Amino acid sequence: MIFNRFTKETRRCVVAAVEEARMLGHDSIGDEDLLLGILRADEGVAAEALSSLGVTLEGARKESEGMLSDALSSVGISLEELRREAGDAFEMRIPDYRKIPFSPKAKKVLERALREAGRLRDNHLGTEHVMLGILRDEDGKAVRMLARLGVSSEMLEDRLYELRGRAAS
Amino acid sequence: MDEKAKTRVGGPEDPRQGLEAVVALRRTLEALEAAQVENAFVAGWSWAQIAEVLGVSKQAVHKKHAKRIRDRYPGEPPRRKRKGE
Repeated sequence: MIFNRFTKETRRCVVAAVEEARMLGHDSIGDEDLLLGILRADEGVAAEALSSLGVTLEGARKESEGMLSDALSSVGISLEELRREAGDAFEMRIPDYRKIPFSPKAKKVLERALREAGRLRDNHLGTEHVMLGILRDEDGKAVRMLARLGVSSEMLEDRLYELRGRAAS
Repeated sequence: MDEKAKTRVGGPEDPRQGLEAVVALRRTLEALEAAQVENAFVAGWSWAQIAEVLGVSKQAVHKKHAKRIRDRYPGEPPRRKRKGE
């Protein structure tokens, strides 16, 4: 089972990803939620790399909502107006008793993370492998979210290797 | 694609953008339904009245929303008047 190789940090990221998805009203866990999970858990090499490039949890959440707002605008709907119209009761949060499944995209991220660990000859599956798994999907929301925050995949990947190297020496 | 065909399809140029708009709408619709059901409930509407306007059964509305709304208003009687009324 793939989960056996998860480090403590990776497990926390996955749990945090579910919490982020719930808060933002994402009815399945996507690649962008895994990115938010890394930031929320704030542990491990991936969080360190993101933070060193100026990516914060608050900033990423804002971009996630910005992407929702843009998607709605593309079909002529203003999230702002909707929110004003519905009043205080309007919130995207999904109630605690409702289960949120992992999307096929998120599952693929974790599969790719496992392959990345293999490629780097690591026995553990760390947050850096999850981050690489996220970055391999160029069309993913997470990669686009990072681009909106001014961080390219190449930049982040380089930083991950840099920080790994430092931790190893 | 000629201009006429584009108009008929009526969607964005990029299918991904169109599909992602659907996801955004679905998620927003859920939040909007929850908010409007709660608003109606707080205004003193019965589940039956809410269900009728939504065009679904009373059981369906109750199953989907009652627990959340009860959790949001713990210990309060089921029928309340809006503040200031």
